[in-house]
Amino acid sequence: MANIELLILFLVGAGIVAYLLTKLNTALGSIFTIFSVMFVFVSLASYGFNLGLNETVNIIPGLTFTQTYLGFYFAIIIVFIYLMVSFFHPYYLDDYKYKDSYNLLFLLSLAGIIGAFYTDNFLQLFFFFELIIWTTMFLIPQGKSREAAVTYFGFSVAGSVAMLLGIFMIYQSSGTFDISIGLASINGTTGVLVFVLFLIAAFSKLGIFPLHIWLPIAHGNAPHPFSPVLSGALVKLGAFIGVLALVKIVPATGVIGVIDMHVGQYIVAILGSLSIVFGTLMAIKEDDAKKLLAYSSMSHGGYILVAFSMLDSVALAGGFYHILAHALASAGAFMAIAAVARAAGTTKMKELGGMIHKMPITYLAYLIAIISMAGIPPMGGFLSKWMIFQAVINKGMILVAIAVFFGSVGSFLYVFRPLASLFLGQELTEYKGIKEAPVLMLIPTFIIMGLNVYTGTFPGAILNYINNIIVELGFSGINVTSSGIIDTYSGQGVLNPTLVSMVFGTGTLIAFIIFILLKKSRKVDLMDTYTAANFVHDEHLLHYSVDFYAPLERLYEKQSNWMTKFYTALAEKVKEIGNFGKYLFMSKNIGTTLFWIITIIILLLWGEVL
Amino acid sequence: MSAILLIAVPLLAAFLSIMMKKLSSYVLLAVGIFNVVLLLILPDGFVRIGEFNQPLGINLLLDTYSRIALLLLNSLILVITYLNLKSYKTYGTILLLALAGLNGLVLTNDLFNFFVFLEISGIAAYLITTSNKKPRSTFHYLMLGAVGSSLFLFGVIILYAMYGTLNMVGMIRLIQANGNYKEVILPFTLMFIGLGVEAKLLPFNSWVKGVLGNSNTLSGPMIASVYAGSMSFVLGRLITNLFDFQGSLLTVVTIILAVGILAGDLMAFASTKTREILLFSSVAQASIIALLFVNGIIIWAVYLIIANALSKTVMFLVINKATKDIGSDESQDLRGLFIKNILVGVTFTLATLSVMGLPLLVGFKIKLAFLTGLADANHIWLIAIILIASVIEGIYFVRLLVKLWYKGDKEINVSYNFSFKTVFVIIALALLVFGTYSTPLSYLDNSIDTVMEEVNNG
Repeated sequence: MANIELLILFLVGAGIVAYLLTKLNTALGSIFTIFSVMFVFVSLASYGFNLGLNETVNIIPGLTFTQTYLGFYFAIIIVFIYLMVSFFHPYYLDDYKYKDSYNLLFLLSLAGIIGAFYTDNFLQLFFFFELIIWTTMFLIPQGKSREAAVTYFGFSVAGSVAMLLGIFMIYQSSGTFDISIGLASINGTTGVLVFVLFLIAAFSKLGIFPLHIWLPIAHGNAPHPFSPVLSGALVKLGAFIGVLALVKIVPATGVIGVIDMHVGQYIVAILGSLSIVFGTLMAIKEDDAKKLLAYSSMSHGGYILVAFSMLDSVALAGGFYHILAHALASAGAFMAIAAVARAAGTTKMKELGGMIHKMPITYLAYLIAIISMAGIPPMGGFLSKWMIFQAVINKGMILVAIAVFFGSVGSFLYVFRPLASLFLGQELTEYKGIKEAPVLMLIPTFIIMGLNVYTGTFPGAILNYINNIIVELGFSGINVTSSGIIDTYSGQGVLNPTLVSMVFGTGTLIAFIIFILLKKSRKVDLMDTYTAANFVHDEHLLHYSVDFYAPLERLYEKQSNWMTKFYTALAEKVKEIGNFGKYLFMSKNIGTTLFWIITIIILLLWGEVL
Repeated sequence: MSAILLIAVPLLAAFLSIMMKKLSSYVLLAVGIFNVVLLLILPDGFVRIGEFNQPLGINLLLDTYSRIALLLLNSLILVITYLNLKSYKTYGTILLLALAGLNGLVLTNDLFNFFVFLEISGIAAYLITTSNKKPRSTFHYLMLGAVGSSLFLFGVIILYAMYGTLNMVGMIRLIQANGNYKEVILPFTLMFIGLGVEAKLLPFNSWVKGVLGNSNTLSGPMIASVYAGSMSFVLGRLITNLFDFQGSLLTVVTIILAVGILAGDLMAFASTKTREILLFSSVAQASIIALLFVNGIIIWAVYLIIANALSKTVMFLVINKATKDIGSDESQDLRGLFIKNILVGVTFTLATLSVMGLPLLVGFKIKLAFLTGLADANHIWLIAIILIASVIEGIYFVRLLVKLWYKGDKEINVSYNFSFKTVFVIIALALLVFGTYSTPLSYLDNSIDTVMEEVNNG
């Protein structure tokens, strides 16, 4: 019987062993890490679905656990992403400055994840949150940029600290740190304040506008195997807090009658929509494949938040399904980019091209992932977006609807770019010698490919599980048959994903048969062409990924760095205030201090004695 | 055996050691060990000098509170002396004087006597800072210290004129009987400011920038850990028992401390010199500690003092040693310090994480506990200010850590000898152990301070 406490302790212990093993030999330590995560995943998967984990605490005093469908759903997704990513470790860690500690911190942060989703106490939730933040913070600077860690940490801590303030407000009004009692007991102004504070936490973790700028910085610069964890797993912590805030706290704000929504929730939906739009626009503009995917995470975070803000069964189902679909899709895409980066040494799209010739499986993994991201059947992303669309239209939220549709169309534009410029396109001379990723890295690639298709084809079991969560949150479950036929709003829209996938599958099969039967195209050398009556003498000139959407980008190129500028200016201002403080209080002139002493005494006496 | 020996032996040894200057540090080690052992065996209670009953005569009070304070400061002085045996040999006499002064400050129950020890420890502190070789900042410190102790003395004189006693327990009784808090606002303000200078409270602390900003392996930990810790302890004792801030004085003090927390962290954020970052963070922490005492969260304030003193000892030692070897304390110039000093780096990181209050380290437990205490006392705005400050603190510390761990333009070589490393490891392990296994922290509670019991018992 798997015990939650023991799982956490196991991960801590495994972390220490992994540290020692990695010190000896990177591959050994990494393989040990894979097995440790696998053990935890298997334990969770075998007992967790029916909430059959053992909650007793014997060793660590003060910890208390409880199991919810909600917590398990998040935990299993995140542990799965950790497991998939750990297969990449043996091939990457040697390049890192402090490779010994990589597996240790990786496993410690996973221990934090398990704790965060199973605890029933706010202070412990904060404990595990901060644990996750600082352990992962040390992983990020091992990648490209040192400053990225500071940005990541700053935003994450701002979020978790906002949450802590909210926790203390709940504690003040209810006298308990128990999560369910606490959330149920707040109302009035405290309710509004806690709602806002929790949402700051959710926004900063999920990377929602206006707390999004750390996403591209951290995702783009993190070590290649860690970016999938950040995007696929860790930002989902924000979604968890978002659920707590949006669904469990109903702030005492007014209700907008037309769409039957609380003002607070509606504002969140609007901010989520802005994230979708801005994330999409920024992704279209981005040249670095990882940063592009980071902006796409921001936009997908927006979808999740929009879904949760609607407080509607179908929307909730869509939101939860999107968490899974996006985790799989973004992990798949980031892992594909990581494989390319390992082979080619860069993630800049204008420096890459023609990878499909050397890395066809990675190409396929990326293709399937982006199909899911763009919300095209037969992948999971299609189903979740479809449910969210249904709910948005049903509610009649026009502005939000525009945003979610824009995001969907926009994602075609941006996910296609890495595909076109990085995998397709001309094969550059410098990449003639590279090879497909090694087998160990292909295992998770295949698993994730399969799951992306599975979630889009046979959603029945997953949606039934999600129904448990929805019921647990106090809503009625959605209509879904065991074969996965979804019926939203009784008859308004019936979707049979299996059938849709069959059609797509058949189409693909026919196309494949035609491809086999028809005459093979002749392979020509890249130089076997001429342009504008000139012979092209350098392949790089034929590379067409630079300024791909130039006319579109020109529309907003001046505005695109406003938020970055805002935060840079904010940091600068904080610094100036600090320097002003030094000027006020830390003068070399003794007179200044005497001035303060005398002022304080006079002010005090004025009010009291004189 | 009596608690008076804790003061008398170092004082006597200080005079004797003048005659054998070279051995003075070894004398200090012996005295330090003697004091620590004595502390472990002495019984709790009042020591009446000359068998005069209260309120007459001078009393020393040894209770759990002062025992913790004394153990901390005596053992820290012992460790710091040991680490500086080679580099600052001749400071033994001064450190003995500091030991006597600080021990007396913590123990004494007589306000005039308190002033005397304040001066003794102050003089020792000025002399310790001369090792920085920055006469101007030492002079600055000296001037402010003199102003501070004069204000304190002025306050004590007013109180004496009003109540006719200098005995703290006796005075508290009289003030309680009198019941008019307005009368004592002026003396209490003066005393608070006077001690605030030494306890590094903003805005009375402009000396710290010059003194700690140029500190070395002796003066850094001595001023930032030992002095700051002891002063916080004695300030805490006075705040909890004597001052008992009320009304507008409470408001003003709370505002001063809240501004101190924010401004300290903001100033650290604006700094690029490592020593300045550390010292401004200490300023913010000192304000937090005082704020906890003001709100009656004694036990967690005590733990915070201990955790900070230990962490800051490690941090100042690491940075000051590096500064000495490299000749600059700009964080840009110290980039890559830990590449070759992994162990030192890990201990420094753990100490920093503890100061920042991150999980698995004792600082986290303490931070959550005192924030809960503040929430119980309905001070949500103070919690908000402390939390905002902690975000700023987190950012500048992480920025510093990342710089120290990753290499810059040039390679730098700093080597820490075995005894430094041992001390770092022991402190880091303590922070880690009590951070993960925090049950022992709950053995003690606010009743460790027994002055009020004494007041009520009569």
